[in-house]
Amino acid sequence: MIRHLLKLVWNRKRAGALLMLEIFFSFLVTAVVATLGLFCWRNYRQPLGFSYRDVWQVAVDSKQWRGGEAPAAAARDTMSRLLRELQSLPRVEAAAGTMVVPFSTSDDVMIDDSGHGPVRMDFNVVSLDFDRVMGLHLVAGRWFGKGDEALAWQPVVVNRNLARAAFGGADPIGRRLGVPDPKGQEPERRVIGVVADYRKNGELAGDGNYLFLPQRQPGGGSGHLFASLLLRVRPGTTAAFEEELTGRLQRIAPGWSFAVTTLAEMRASSFRLRLAPLLTGCVIALFLLAMVGLGLTGVMWQNLLQRTRELGLRRAAGASRAALLRQIVTEQLLLTTLSVGLATALVVQLPISRLAGALPGAVMAAGLASAMAVIYALVILCSLYPSVIASRVPPAEALRFE
Amino acid sequence: MLISHLKMGAKVLLRRKFFTFISLFAISLTLLVLLVATAMLDSILAPRAPETRAARTLGIYRLGFEGPHTGHEGPVGYAFLDRYARHLQRVETIALFTEQQGAVSYVAGRKITSYLKRTDGEFWRILDFDFVEGGPFTAADELQANPVAVINQSTRRRFFGAAPALGRPFAIDGQSFRVVGVVRDVPIVRIVPFADVWVPISTAKSSTYKHEALGNFMAILLARSRRDLPAIQAEFRSRLAHAESPDPRLYTRIAGGADTSFEALARLLFASRENDAHAGRLRAALLTAMAMFMLLPTLNLININLSRILDRAAEIGVRKAFGASSWALVGQFLIENLVLTLLGGALGLALAGPVLAALNRSGLVPYAQFGLNLRVFAYGLAIAVFFGLLSGVYPAWKMSRLQPARALSGRSS
Amino acid sequence: MIRLQRVKKLYRTERVETTALDNINLSIEEGEFVSIMGPSGCGKSTLLNLIGLLDEPSEGSVEFDGEKVGDYGDRALARLRNQRVGFIFQQFHLVSDLSVADNVEIPLLYRRLSHRERRRLAHAALDRVGLSSRTLHFPSQLSGGQQQRVAIARAIVGRPRVLLADEPTGNLDSQMGEEVMAILEGFNQGDKTTVVMVTHDRRLADRTQRVVRLFDGRQVS
Repeated sequence: MIRHLLKLVWNRKRAGALLMLEIFFSFLVTAVVATLGLFCWRNYRQPLGFSYRDVWQVAVDSKQWRGGEAPAAAARDTMSRLLRELQSLPRVEAAAGTMVVPFSTSDDVMIDDSGHGPVRMDFNVVSLDFDRVMGLHLVAGRWFGKGDEALAWQPVVVNRNLARAAFGGADPIGRRLGVPDPKGQEPERRVIGVVADYRKNGELAGDGNYLFLPQRQPGGGSGHLFASLLLRVRPGTTAAFEEELTGRLQRIAPGWSFAVTTLAEMRASSFRLRLAPLLTGCVIALFLLAMVGLGLTGVMWQNLLQRTRELGLRRAAGASRAALLRQIVTEQLLLTTLSVGLATALVVQLPISRLAGALPGAVMAAGLASAMAVIYALVILCSLYPSVIASRVPPAEALRFE
Repeated sequence: MLISHLKMGAKVLLRRKFFTFISLFAISLTLLVLLVATAMLDSILAPRAPETRAARTLGIYRLGFEGPHTGHEGPVGYAFLDRYARHLQRVETIALFTEQQGAVSYVAGRKITSYLKRTDGEFWRILDFDFVEGGPFTAADELQANPVAVINQSTRRRFFGAAPALGRPFAIDGQSFRVVGVVRDVPIVRIVPFADVWVPISTAKSSTYKHEALGNFMAILLARSRRDLPAIQAEFRSRLAHAESPDPRLYTRIAGGADTSFEALARLLFASRENDAHAGRLRAALLTAMAMFMLLPTLNLININLSRILDRAAEIGVRKAFGASSWALVGQFLIENLVLTLLGGALGLALAGPVLAALNRSGLVPYAQFGLNLRVFAYGLAIAVFFGLLSGVYPAWKMSRLQPARALSGRSS
Repeated sequence: MIRLQRVKKLYRTERVETTALDNINLSIEEGEFVSIMGPSGCGKSTLLNLIGLLDEPSEGSVEFDGEKVGDYGDRALARLRNQRVGFIFQQFHLVSDLSVADNVEIPLLYRRLSHRERRRLAHAALDRVGLSSRTLHFPSQLSGGQQQRVAIARAIVGRPRVLLADEPTGNLDSQMGEEVMAILEGFNQGDKTTVVMVTHDRRLADRTQRVVRLFDGRQVS
């Protein structure tokens, strides 16, 4: 039977080509949205690598512009005093400076070209207590310590992803991370510790490589001051503390601006920002599918109307209503399989899959599979009603149909 | 002839109610989405209060600094603009202002986060804000660093409730200001005027900005006439070419320009570090996005239209048998399809109003004021006609090729 | 083999009720060649559809092989049609998108047969109507007479006991009509297949064993 229907579909391919094209594109749209959705869902279930509860962020605007001179010694000193002030407050359990704010959209990126291929990583310059503030989970080696300044080389801490990408299965502790320095002035970097993960961009973002560098000079890295100060407050600390906090900082640095936010707030807004495109995509895809669904129903209705006499003949030849219904739906499914198969081949073959390089293969496969399920369900849904109507036409009437 | 075509078309549409419903649904939803997108773009780009003089305004929002090892792209410093953007030929006036920045206030233990923008007095002359209380601060306020502020209605409500705010003091970012004016809210998508609180530049906590070549300042220029814009752009570009680098070791070349609002959007989206803002690329990208989006609806409609034609094979056969030319048939079908599309377009337009209102209410875009106007309507009409022709041409061609005999016998495949 | 008793068939539209057949009593025995004659619109095709179980009577009963089929469901009727009845139509009703062999196979699709078996039977049926060289052609590449012969092959491929032909020569010229008639007679005499044929051609009717005449829905002889 399948063979017979396949012939029928194949011989009608010219008439059905546009319909197949429509299914083809519907599948592609669904596959993209489904893959992205599954990717977000998969990421959402992975641990964040740090805890954002009871962590506050003080954005520090020191009015020092990037790109010019290195920050003045006075500014460095002020930044250090601010940090010490925070650490001295009884409501604050720990405080640290950071160059890149968690959940922010800004990134600092470098590329390690010393190994087998380029390894791209996000990096951050942080002060000593950063691990305690963020509740990082160390899985090997150690975090930065007080005596590190005496080392002839620069200690760095990596996340597990980076350790895997840069050193494969080998033990990363003590290995050199050969990030080339354009000026040749930076000392060599050696890994002293591995944290489970640090997903700065939040739960919805994909896996990434992360590198922590210790602060090189008081109040920041070699080029810049810390962009913000992070503090872990005692549980139960309310927003009323914010005003006091800002007041204290303002007294130390009257010319600077401070803005306090909780990481929970930043997480919520970053979550919304990352979810928005996905939701927009979903809405548009749903709308397109609804439209395609209605269109398919109409087109199938019309096609079956055209074939009334053929269907009547099949009934006369001994097909029961149920057999006819099955046959029509199978035919539509074959047509769908042809389009979906073509689209899948395209997605797998073409550089589209390379474009989405960050996507793990399993997510991609699951995305394609669920898109297939959606499209098949849609086609069955759309062909059911017209098929039922068509198979109900009494055969005697169908054979007389003009 | 036209009337009889339309009558025939209407009859067919009424006879096949299901098809008509699907076609109308597909058309109106597609056009609805396109109209909403158009209205959103329109509210960002089209001249309207406070940017009533947008047609003869140019902006210097972001410049690119290029060096052998590094690059930087963004707003620039006050000193740079002061030195290179002032006193251009054919420019009536220039205003300098900062990017809006989040600023915190504490009112009775409550935290209020507002967007703060520091501007000079000219800012209020180029932009046409709608004052509900008081008026703008002036060049004199800027000169004397008077602690005065203009706030928007939402900020007035947050700080002072329903009461009038004129003359009342408030604190923001650790500084105190006195309200001299209250303006209507401006949506965040209008990046130049947008803020919650506007204060004089000179009230900044430190005056180092006056000497910085890099910073967070922007400028808008008001040309004497629209025709002068290209000349002004050219003059500013040539000044940039000879401008002194803020740090010759890092940056050797400065690129960018004074942009119209569309060019500015393109420069922002493509983070262009070149003289060309890539406005052409943005236009192409928008058209591509529209085409991609319209692909499925168009295919859908073509399929529906093809089915509609096959349904009428007998009618076509009769018309051909009685001497209708292929062209006449194509014309007939296109007109019919166009009428259907316009009908769908009208439905889409009717739906776009409530959808935009819901978007405004949702607070997705702060202070959004998306709405329909004549220009959006005209775009919508153009899109509808284009869509109608696009989805009608192939089916019409197919229809004109039906053999009369086969068409009459009702067999077509 | 087939017995119709007091059969009445009404067609209802919104306002009008037409009586297509009224009080038909007809019995067809195994191996007979019966023709049904009458002016157009007298109910010939309706009667044939009732005999072929394509339609159900409004009143009266239809017996097939001694079984009353009145309370048979769709599935049972479909099986009866599939195994015992073969249809031939004036307009051939070939599926234009299928090759000759695939068209002939259609009744076998609704039985549990392997692809190979279906092919074999289809070729055998085509052989009997003299078209075994055209199996890969499409209907549009054949003449009218050849198309009707394909239709006959399709009707006999499942070895039915009854062949029902609705004006099988109506769309053919006299020579081709003669060929088709000869094939039908061959099946009737050689295979003892019962044949019921609707026609308005008196010369063809005269060659059959019995003529049933209808006029305005009533049996006149």
